[in-house]
Amino acid sequence: MNRQLQNKLFTYSAWLAVIICSTILFFLFGVIIWNGLPAINISFLTQQASNFGASGGIIHQIGGSLLLVAFAALICFPIALGTAIYKSEYLNNNKISGLLNTLIYGLNGIPSVIFGIFGLILFVNMLGMGVSWIVGSIILAMMILPTVTLSTFHAINNVPTVYRENSLALGLTKWQVISKALLPRAFNGAITGLLIGVARAVGETAPIMFIATAFSGVTFPGTFLEPVSALPTHILALAQQATDPSALQNAWGSSLVLIVLVVLFSISALIIRLKYQTTSTR
Amino acid sequence: MSRSTNAIGKYYVYGSTLISAFIVFLIFTILLINSWDAINIIGLDLFSLDWNPANGEFGLISMLYGTAVVTIIAMILAVPLGIYAAVFTSEILPDKYRFVVKSILELLAGIPSIIFGLIGVAFLSIWFQDLFDLQSGRTLLTAGVLLSIMILPTIITLTDDALHNIPEKYRETAKGLGLYNFEIIKGILMPIAKRDVKSAILLAFGRALGETMAVMLVIGSIDKLPSPLFNWLSPGQTITSKLGREIAETSLGSVHFSAMIFMGLLLFSVVLLLTVLSQRFTSRSYRLYE
Repeated sequence: MNRQLQNKLFTYSAWLAVIICSTILFFLFGVIIWNGLPAINISFLTQQASNFGASGGIIHQIGGSLLLVAFAALICFPIALGTAIYKSEYLNNNKISGLLNTLIYGLNGIPSVIFGIFGLILFVNMLGMGVSWIVGSIILAMMILPTVTLSTFHAINNVPTVYRENSLALGLTKWQVISKALLPRAFNGAITGLLIGVARAVGETAPIMFIATAFSGVTFPGTFLEPVSALPTHILALAQQATDPSALQNAWGSSLVLIVLVVLFSISALIIRLKYQTTSTR
Repeated sequence: MSRSTNAIGKYYVYGSTLISAFIVFLIFTILLINSWDAINIIGLDLFSLDWNPANGEFGLISMLYGTAVVTIIAMILAVPLGIYAAVFTSEILPDKYRFVVKSILELLAGIPSIIFGLIGVAFLSIWFQDLFDLQSGRTLLTAGVLLSIMILPTIITLTDDALHNIPEKYRETAKGLGLYNFEIIKGILMPIAKRDVKSAILLAFGRALGETMAVMLVIGSIDKLPSPLFNWLSPGQTITSKLGREIAETSLGSVHFSAMIFMGLLLFSVVLLLTVLSQRFTSRSYRLYE
């Protein structure tokens, strides 16, 4: 075949692929906004659900979702920070580094439903914690641990070596170097990672649906060992009664609220990253 | 004082690393212990056709088949589409729009899977029902198509990064030799980016295997092989949809539960293997010349 013709065909197929992808994209955002907006009003956002979610609002679902991810972030952050410091400042053995990387990426790849059944067996049954929101937070913390660890690691690792050498020359101990010289500079990178992790955690359904949430009749929890109601599991329950138009409308409304939450977390991560970008000369 | 904080800091750092590293092993151990009953009592009958817990039949073939079919459909659709789209965003689209396109892709990758499920229930399955004149639009094919949309952003962003990281010099030299754009991409850029693209495909493959919510809502959830075997317009079941639907209704310690956990163990092992392989591909052992 003629080279010019081949080149043209190739360019056209790339255009075609991109047009298909954009159509899908606009369709997705289109239906979510188009169907979600009519469902949303002040009372939808501030009332509690009634009639199995088909009427009423989603205030408890929003609260439950935020509670789950807030505690997931609280549990995850110290562990991720420690791992990141170890990986950046203490580790100087290639084999262990490779192993640790494999474990972290492996953890990142584990399907979310596996985390769900793991939590069901270990926490809900073996440790006798029952279906409770704190179990959901622990499991979500495990899920976002790799994301948070890796971005914190990059933030710490990108602090120029000069800082380490200067502070060591001043006679600081290793821990003082880390806590006084490196962490203040890496802090924003760590927060960025945490927000990205939270953006992922807030939309997860499979890990929390049998260990942390109940569908109806749940209000804000008074103790650690009570189930909550969360947005993703609420959407799941409503999607299963999709023949009922008012349930479906509430499902779209909840979806739009959920996406807004995800986008808010991602955008704040992006803003922090752009605003406080650390110098990356090492 | 400073010496003791130094030691405490060290213990904290070592401790948290141990916790992070321990989780994967812990999950594996828990799954293995709980699927031991199934391996012991049912043994090779796990790989038989019928799933009927009431009669003590725990054949996983239909779930394994469903998982394979759905994933293959998703890969067949998403891989070529994703690679062509990535070629466009990296090689044809002017650089100034790249940030916008990348952000939109990130946004798309961030849509929770339950929302894809809702879209599948409300639109895709109904379209399939009308299009192919079916009793129900919840089929293996519907799940595969939905899944392909979900893994598309992963493939596009990673392939785009792989192509974009190749120094401009390669393109300029090739242009200097009088090659067409098509020949540059096919003959020079793709071979260089091959390892990264492979790793992207493996990663997407792993995500497709493990995706639960969207698949669960549109697959129809029937534990039977379709007849004839390649009639993908019939309802089916995947490992993940089975786990999602049934695990909460199964009592802990029963053979039924154990058989379910065994499925989870299979899925866990395959996905872990894919992730590790994909990791191997990206740890590059060669250098590009600027």
